[in-house]
Amino acid sequence: MDLDELYRLLRDSHVQAVSIVNTLRDPLVVLDDEFRVLNANPAFYQTFSTSRDETIGTALADLGNGQWDIPELRLLLDQVIPRSTSVIDYEVQAEFPHIGRRTMLVSAQRLSHPDSGQRILLLTIVDATERRQADDDKDILIGELGHRIKNLLAVTRAIACRTEVEGRSAETYRDDFLGRFDALARSLAVSTRETEADLCQLVRAVMEPYLEKASAITFKGQGAIALLPRQAMSLGMILHELATNALKHGALSVPAGRLDIAWSLAEDRNGQPEVRLSWRESNGPEASPPGTVGFGTRLIRFATEVDLKGQAELSYQRDGLVADLTFPQ
Amino acid sequence: MSDKPAPRPPGNRVSVLVVEDEMMIALDVQMMLEDNGYTVLGPAGSVEGALRLLDELRPDVAVLDGNLRGRPVIPVARRLRSLEIPFVLSSAYDIFTFDGSDVLAGAENVQKPVSENRLIAALQRALS
Repeated sequence: MDLDELYRLLRDSHVQAVSIVNTLRDPLVVLDDEFRVLNANPAFYQTFSTSRDETIGTALADLGNGQWDIPELRLLLDQVIPRSTSVIDYEVQAEFPHIGRRTMLVSAQRLSHPDSGQRILLLTIVDATERRQADDDKDILIGELGHRIKNLLAVTRAIACRTEVEGRSAETYRDDFLGRFDALARSLAVSTRETEADLCQLVRAVMEPYLEKASAITFKGQGAIALLPRQAMSLGMILHELATNALKHGALSVPAGRLDIAWSLAEDRNGQPEVRLSWRESNGPEASPPGTVGFGTRLIRFATEVDLKGQAELSYQRDGLVADLTFPQ
Repeated sequence: MSDKPAPRPPGNRVSVLVVEDEMMIALDVQMMLEDNGYTVLGPAGSVEGALRLLDELRPDVAVLDGNLRGRPVIPVARRLRSLEIPFVLSSAYDIFTFDGSDVLAGAENVQKPVSENRLIAALQRALS
């Protein structure tokens, strides 16, 4: 190898090294053994809104307005670095000019020059502020999800406790419980987004298991009436109670029976939007109020009056039950 | 809030204000309490609803969910404290970390899901 070749090689590897450093997306700074800046890459200048002139030759602690003069970082440089050749992701929080309070992860690598023995320190600095924020947000979300699961378990437990057991076979109990459980699941599934559920989709989802058992069920109503997920759950449970009752004792228990469900969005006396839903059974056996109020009837009343803040009018007619529900949207 | 203190609900039974936003749980707790001879006030599903009820009637004791549609139950607990009405908590949340949760100090949390025995025992302790 002649001198020209060696020179080219050295120049090329220098150019290569410089390009690598310059293309690094994370800020990188090279310090001498007194922690003065020997060099820094463009990402460093960009991230900390500073310039080459302000940076090179300055002690790290004096950069900018002294924002790098941080106890944790001084500890890292004075104590940790001399004892180990590298440090990975050392967390530093500080107030930086132009960019405000940030969380930085500092990694350091000590290098010795092979010939002169000069010791230099490479510091890479990753701005982890947003990542940390995202981690915190994720933790909150996971916590929220945990509470929702607990709540849902409590709801399921309440349904299991309140489903009638007296004088019933295990099989009947299971079917009654699962009917309510499925209605809950269907109502939740309709609430696809955090904010709302569609009334029409809810009615169809909850009534779907009954469609195969009876052909004479009709739906009539405006599309796209938005309900809160909470309202959807209550209304879903109400519809299920009406449906299961119709199947056992009402119009859906006989081949000729009919069920017409209609809904609309109207205005109450104060001009506030009000949901109206009518449930009309016909051609069925004569309906009569239950001798003792069962859990199903109680659930319908409670969900409508206490939770939905509306009214449920149940009218037991000669050829089937008619229920009119109204509640504020 | 009116200046006159709110009256007790009619009847001789011990009255319990139930504050709970989950419909099925509210109904379950109401039925538990009625089965044990209590009168239920509410259930209220929101902070405003609970405060409105307290303007009108004075319960003997209350059972509070920790979080009502995303709002901590703290203002209700504060009003109960000022009325010197004891209360127990039934919450899946770690409510003692909420802002202003010092007002909850000393109140028993029967957790969630709530068992009938635990709730009734806690109410009796709160009343004694």
